[in-house]
Amino acid sequence: MEASPTPGGYFGRALVVDVTDGSAETLPLPDDVLRAYIGGAGLGAWLMHELAPPGVDPLGPEAPLAFCFSPLVGTPLTTSAKFAVVAKSPLTGLLNDALASSHFAIAGKLTGHDAIVVRGACAEPSVLLVDGDGPRLEPAGDLWGLPADDAERKLRERLGKAWRVASIGPAGERQVKYATVSHDGRHAGRGGLGAVLGAKLVKAVAVRPATKVASHNPHAVLEAARDLRTRSFGPATAKYRELGTLANLLAFNAIATLPTRNFQAATFSEAPRLAAEDLAEARGIARESCASCSIGCEHIYRSAGGKGVRVEYENVFALGPLCGVSDPDAVLEASRRCDEYGLDTISAGGTIAWAMECAERGLIDAPWLRFGDADAMLRAIDEIGAREGLGALLAEGSRAAAHIVGQGSIAFAPQVKGLELPGYEPRTLQAMALGLAVNARGADHNRSGAYEADLSGRHDRLSGGSPHVAAAIGTEDRAAVMDSLILCKFLRGVFDDPFPEWARLLSAVTGWDVDGDELEATARRIVLAKRAFNAREGWTRGDDALPDRFLDESLDLASGRTATLTRERLDAMIQEYYGARGLDPSGLLGTEQMEDLRLGVPVR
Amino acid sequence: MTQAAGIVLAGGRSSRMGSPKAALEWHGSTLLRRICGIVARGVDGPVVVVRAPGQDLPELPDDVHVVEDAREGRGPLQGISAGLHAVRDEAEAAYVSSTDVPLLHPRFVAAVLGALDGDTDVVLPQVGGHRHPLAAAYRTELADAVERLIAADRMKPAFLFEAARVKRLDAEALLADPALAALDPGLDSVLNLNARDDYEAARARPAPEVTVRRFGALRRLGDGLPDPALIRAATLGEAAAAAGLTLDEHVVAALNGDQITRDPQAPLAAGDAVSFLAADAGG
Repeated sequence: MEASPTPGGYFGRALVVDVTDGSAETLPLPDDVLRAYIGGAGLGAWLMHELAPPGVDPLGPEAPLAFCFSPLVGTPLTTSAKFAVVAKSPLTGLLNDALASSHFAIAGKLTGHDAIVVRGACAEPSVLLVDGDGPRLEPAGDLWGLPADDAERKLRERLGKAWRVASIGPAGERQVKYATVSHDGRHAGRGGLGAVLGAKLVKAVAVRPATKVASHNPHAVLEAARDLRTRSFGPATAKYRELGTLANLLAFNAIATLPTRNFQAATFSEAPRLAAEDLAEARGIARESCASCSIGCEHIYRSAGGKGVRVEYENVFALGPLCGVSDPDAVLEASRRCDEYGLDTISAGGTIAWAMECAERGLIDAPWLRFGDADAMLRAIDEIGAREGLGALLAEGSRAAAHIVGQGSIAFAPQVKGLELPGYEPRTLQAMALGLAVNARGADHNRSGAYEADLSGRHDRLSGGSPHVAAAIGTEDRAAVMDSLILCKFLRGVFDDPFPEWARLLSAVTGWDVDGDELEATARRIVLAKRAFNAREGWTRGDDALPDRFLDESLDLASGRTATLTRERLDAMIQEYYGARGLDPSGLLGTEQMEDLRLGVPVR
Repeated sequence: MTQAAGIVLAGGRSSRMGSPKAALEWHGSTLLRRICGIVARGVDGPVVVVRAPGQDLPELPDDVHVVEDAREGRGPLQGISAGLHAVRDEAEAAYVSSTDVPLLHPRFVAAVLGALDGDTDVVLPQVGGHRHPLAAAYRTELADAVERLIAADRMKPAFLFEAARVKRLDAEALLADPALAALDPGLDSVLNLNARDDYEAARARPAPEVTVRRFGALRRLGDGLPDPALIRAATLGEAAAAAGLTLDEHVVAALNGDQITRDPQAPLAAGDAVSFLAADAGG
């Protein structure tokens, strides 16, 4: 590995701010650490190893939360304006990274840091400002209680348009365990990182560019950017461009992988009411892009009240079929309210759907909460956002709530490691079943895109086995690199030979002689670093699992086949996954793997 | 162990046909490819092709296993024996098919297998005045009994039926299955092709009627084709072409909401529903 003291695209340092007193220190980021973890989610994993005290309370003042940028941020490479928010999750108790996009990424990096870490806790609601003058805190009493969008707008009016803001909403302030961090309407959504900032009384982090950063070979980067931009207009991204991810909904319904009524079914007879194919024409009012993006996947629909709502498959699935709701006005309104409170729509929908089933079974005293009742769903969202009534329970997420309710309700709590499942039915997508079970973040479709294998036609998606394991590992590795470079995953289809192609991009920016093989090793390291952090925080083999529902209940398909995922099959895939990753039978790293993580290196 | 495997006998001299039946063209595919695909849809276990020693076969899916007859030209029992031996550790029963039944419907396979019960070793359709031992279900434990018949040079299936518990299914019994009655009312599933004229007549029939749906951005393709649309197509490739689509790396298809494929030779049967969707399911 050829080291360079100042690789292009980096500043080689992180800013660590203690918001208890506003003090700050600069944490040097050695070249070999940057090369080993790249940036974004990878760098965030390393920072958590270094800065989070073992066993730290995610909502305690000692818990660090990092905004991690990456070497590609600020280049003209399409979709590169992304950042990762990384911390120990209050929802899972494990490592969590959530990505968001746009100008905050560029402005944050151009404060002169590859990451900005927040720790400590303020005495009063505050805003952390970071620019060329260093970090400082300002009171945010006037912003406390506002939706993130409003707080962001007010702050920029006050500070100036050069400032970019990541903010939490009322749910973060109230430490709802799946509260988001939001920027420009986009959410670092999963795992409750908004609650971490809320516990620190940090309403927002505002950043202003103060410097520049050069690529090692600007000409090569520009050429690559032109090429990538051209490819981004091709058929691999047509789905995102033309209808957005909501195009999944009707297709998933047709192939029995649309989770419905808390995963009691995989098809929803009323799905056509929520179909992008029709709604886009009737309600589409705009299409938007993140900064530096040429795909433009964001489809804005008009809600009944006339307001624009960003529509994605995940929010519509979770607040629609998963809760048995098919009224598009209700689903759009529910999505809008989640945005306003700053709630992760997947966890909100999953937790409400679990509560609906509990109510249906008489396990909780909430007779008003019924599948298909749109008003009840909206009321539940409001109560969660306010932490009032039933919302106080549901604000904890489905796993914690199930432990409180008991009576066997954990069996159908739709979560892995505490994180609610996305809209991919594991019994009919059995590579994805493995991905959901073993991923460090919990049940997640962005860190493990194993559904790609299930939907490729190359494997029987109802019969998970060795090919599914290999495919799940492949998608997990690719995601680890994309989340660290960072490039948007909606771009992944344009790469024919991803690791060598990504290595060339990284090489042009940094000057490193990195190749595809090295980047594959980097991917494996990042995946294992996350696992190692979790093991340090109490993860055990039993946490790599799926809820009993998926293993005890089969799904009948229209074709006449039955989709069954047995414990034996899932366990066999998990053990094969451990073997292929070089882990021991209990899923733990060996000594050599731990040494490769470059933890505990002297950085000060 | 699965409940049922599929055995497709590809040997035979095809002397009246004039060319090997297995490789006969069928809507851009081959007869053997079609039968393997149709049988696979009616069983939950593996599909095995039994060929004559050294026989060339057309291209088959990777998951189809090929075994060889011990000796060539000794009739169907030889092939049934090879097939039953190949699958008996993996399945309790097997549907045995000849290669020359291009109108075979997966529902027919399922209906015949469904008639197998604890008192039955063989389910033998009897349609149009003929027994159809190569459109029948056999318990795989019969493998040794078949082998003994071969060793005794008793090479006709009738000898096996004398020794086994046989349930005969006539047309009325078969059509008591409402799904089969709707999808193959004439029981064309047993129509076999012996001579060139038979093949040409069957090939000239309209392709089966199937429903196609296009999802997401694919819906704007198809030159005004409604959605859903009823079309005629014997393979996935024909259905894709009718829908204005190309089965490239960006498009996959789901057959009856179940198997995902982008194989243009995947056979279609009457009543099938084909969903075309973007290969990239990110969300």
